[in-house]
This record gives sequence, C-alpha cells and structure tokens, in this order.
Amino acid sequence: MSIIREHTQATLSDAWRTINIDALQEDSSVNFDTATLHPPQPEISESEARQLQGQVRQLLRGGDAEGALRGCLEAPVYNGSELARETHLQTVIEVLQSIKASEMTPMLQRIYASPGGSECLDVLMKYLYKGMAASSSSSAGSAPRTPSRVTPQPTGFSQVGARPGAPTESTGAAMSVLLSWHEKVVEVAGLGCIGRVMTDWRRV
Amino acid sequence: MAAPEVHHLFHAPIADHSFSADRKTLAIARDTTVELYGRVGNAFKLKDELKGHDKTVTSIDIAPNSGRIVSCSQDRNALVWEPTPQGYKPTLVLLRINRAATFVRWSPSETKFAVGSGDRLIAVCYFEEENDWWVSKHLKKPIRSTVTAVAWHPNSVLLAAGSTDAHARVFSSFIKGVDARPEPTAWGERLPFNTVCGEYMNNSAGWIHSVAFSPSGDALAFAAHDSSITVVYPSAPEQPPKAVVSINTQLLPFMSLIWNGEDEIIAAGYDCEAFRFRGGIDGWQLTGALEAKGRPGLGDQREESALNMFRQMDLKGKVKDDTQLKTVHQNTITMIRPYETSGPSVRRFSSSGVDGRVVIWTV
Repeated sequence: MSIIREHTQATLSDAWRTINIDALQEDSSVNFDTATLHPPQPEISESEARQLQGQVRQLLRGGDAEGALRGCLEAPVYNGSELARETHLQTVIEVLQSIKASEMTPMLQRIYASPGGSECLDVLMKYLYKGMAASSSSSAGSAPRTPSRVTPQPTGFSQVGARPGAPTESTGAAMSVLLSWHEKVVEVAGLGCIGRVMTDWRRV
Repeated sequence: MAAPEVHHLFHAPIADHSFSADRKTLAIARDTTVELYGRVGNAFKLKDELKGHDKTVTSIDIAPNSGRIVSCSQDRNALVWEPTPQGYKPTLVLLRINRAATFVRWSPSETKFAVGSGDRLIAVCYFEEENDWWVSKHLKKPIRSTVTAVAWHPNSVLLAAGSTDAHARVFSSFIKGVDARPEPTAWGERLPFNTVCGEYMNNSAGWIHSVAFSPSGDALAFAAHDSSITVVYPSAPEQPPKAVVSINTQLLPFMSLIWNGEDEIIAAGYDCEAFRFRGGIDGWQLTGALEAKGRPGLGDQREESALNMFRQMDLKGKVKDDTQLKTVHQNTITMIRPYETSGPSVRRFSSSGVDGRVVIWTV
C-alpha cells in the first residue's frame, strides 16, 4: 500500500492540470495566426501619410472641408508604422476640429448617402475612438512622453498631439470635439457603425 | 398585414425551434432538453420532453417528411429521435468531435444531416444500413474556427457554412451510395466530398451568424457580426463570383436570415425585430422593418388623467412605463425559419429568441 502511495505522490502531482494542451496541439486555436484570415492591406509609409496631410491641409485652406474629410477617410492607414498612423490620426483630427458644429450632420449625411459613404463613416468612427484613446492616455500618462510619440509639429495646428506644456486643456477640448462628432456619426450611421468598428480586423 | 401570432412559452432563452410539416408540433431547444409543444386551439401546450443530452441543446431540426427530430448539444453529441407509437426513440450519432456541437440541419433529401461544431469541422452524418447506425464524415479543411451555422443547397449535396473565422464557405458533402450524382450548378460540376466550391468574407471580417442559399440555390446570403448582409452570386466553377453584394446597415447585427423568393431576404437579430431586404445581382437594399410599430395594444397610448399621472409618479418615479421594447420580441431573435411557403416564396415565417417567445409572422 505504501508503495502505491509513494508512487502516486511522486508521479501524479497536480501539475499536469495546468498544462495548456492547446498550446501543444499544432492546429489548435491558440497557435492560430489571425492575420491569415483577412487579405493584407497595402503598407503606407510615414512620408505618404505626411503627403496626404499636406494635401488635406490645402483642401482645408481652400475651404473644402468635406473634400478634406473624405480625402483622409478614404485613405486610412491600416498597415503602417506607428508614426504614420499617428500622423494620419492628427490629419483626421485637424479636419474634424476645423468643421463647425452646425455643418457636422449635413456633411455626414451627404457622405453617408454617397457611394462608399458607409465605409467612410466606419473609418471616421475608428479614428474617433483612436483619438479618444490617445487623448485620454496622454492626459493620464502626463509629463514624460514616450519617444515614439514625440512627433514634430511644425505648425502647432494639432491639439490632440498635445504639447507637453498644457495637456489638460487641449486634451479636454479635443475630447469634446471627438465626443460631439461621435454623437453625430451614431445619429447618421447608427449603432451598426460602432459594431463594425469593434468587429473590424483593419485597425487604424 | 395580419397581426403576428405570439406564443410566449417560458421565461428562458430558446436556442432553436422547429415546426413539423403539419405545423401542429413545435420542437424547442430549452436548456438540456428538447420540448415538444402541440397545438391546442390557438396555443401551444407542452406535450413531451425529450431528455437525452446532458448539456445545453444548441440546435434542433424536424425532418418534414419522416418526422425524425435531430438535436445537437454542447455535450458533443447529436441524437436522432425516431417517432414510434411509444414516443420518440433516441439514437446516438457518432460525431467524433471533441468540442460542442453548435448547429444541425437535415438535408432536403432527409438522408443526411450536417452538424457544425466548435471543433472546426462539420460532421456530415448519414445512416449506414449494414451497421444500423448513424455515422459521420468530417468536412475539415479549410475551416479555421467554430462553425456557427450551416445551410443546405436544394440538391442536398452542397452545404454552406458560416464560421467565426469570418468566412462563409460552400462545400460539397457528396457521399457515395447516399446521394445521387448532382446536376452541375454554378457552384461546381464534379463534386467529390469536401470540395470547397467557394470561400467568401466581407470587408470588415466579422464572424458569420447565419448562412442561407436562395430558393434556386444559385445565390448565397450570409449575415455577419458587422451588421451586414452579403449576397454572393457565383458565375461558374473555379471562377470568381459574378457579384458579391454587401450591405452594411445602421442596425445591430443579424443572427438569422431566410430568403423569400430570389429577390427578398428577411433577417432578424439583436434589434429584436425582423427586417426586409430587397434587391438582386445589381444591388441590395434594406427596405425597412417587417413589424408595424404603434399597433394597438403594444405601444398603447392610454388616455392620461392628471390623477393617473401623479399616481404613476408616486409609484414609479416616472410617468411613462418604458420597461417594454416596442417590438414583439423583448430580446434578441436568434432564429427565424420559414413557416408556410408557396413555391420559392415565404408566406409566413416563425422567429424565436432569448425572450422565450415563438412568433409567427405574415410576410
């Protein structure tokens, strides 16, 4: 009897219960690369993102806010460096901040009704959420900003990029812009739009 | 439009429901049992409980001609319930899966059924006379994740499946000795078992909740978690499809869809009501909800007296009672099925949902 006890205590510990058998099985869901599920997106470099930023600014200066908004929503950075993504986010937010509150809804309705408009508003929603995440993390993370996030801001246009000097004011303002856009986008594109942002593999 | 026929069976979710061909029997997947309700006048009364599964029953289907019921469950089993004079007799089906079975449907020929599972495969089951039991063959490649829904082509060979890997696929489930060689279709000509005749996804790659072939079998529709419906029109075997039409909606995702003829799709889901889509190969459009809002009795605007108003304020702290949704279903609709058809079009369909209601709608 004692032999049996020794034997079981030596070899039958509980450790096997914690073995993750899914990790050992080659075709299990744990070893599954979800990137294989969807077609690859073209990579967009930072310089391309900057180029687009320039074009969009030009449109803005020309007074074509809708064209500027469409322009940056039709070319989202799904695949690119962190810097390219950040640049594009700033482009989108610049456009959003330059549009008056009274113009939001009619403009969104026009975009939604146009071909490919639903897709555009989905992209806008993605950037709204990204903008909210960025501004809340920069206010929480306060002073020392990670090097990758310090982007040169030649014009000082952007507020969400947050100058380290006055983080609270500008992030608050940026957030309120994003929130009012969020409300308007949901009015036009419905809850389905939020669902799609959460579902979509293509992250901005 | 006639008012819908509402049957509030119990206060628990209904995983799936199925009517017998004569519409007198209604099978409900409730928890670990299959409940059979019989029509008594205008109501459905519980008449039998089929107990055989020991985990949640996920799906059931009654074969219209033979009357056999197939059920599948999270306990990884499927049971075929044979009607006998002494009641229903269960037969275990060897699925050979080690994850939950999620979805089951009889083929139109009723000689086979397909069981979707969390084991990243579909078990196509058929009866083997010499051994006197149900056996299964696995459709495995290239499924990468749980199968959430399956649907049969009218020829009983092609099978569509939706999966959480965001793909809707069309397979051949041809089994020698069970199936007659099918006529060539736009999906394929030679169809050995596990031929992948098509693999489709939509732009945002949301997982698939429901798939359905059009009545002719020449188009496939699927609903995904990005609140969209996608319709695929195949052109020829091995060729890219003629058209893939995707409609993103403003609504919450659809859980289930059925075709009404070739030019209409009815879908229902998290919005707790059914919606109608119309279109064809050139494009599809959401045309609106099926449910007429503000019917008498539901959105009832009672004449409010001042006394009543203050009484409500006193009792509930508010004037309006807004605890009820304006829709008939009070929670997500998880399944819709044709109830009465004439040829390819659906006259009436039934829906069931998380709120324990089965509702029969006139289209």
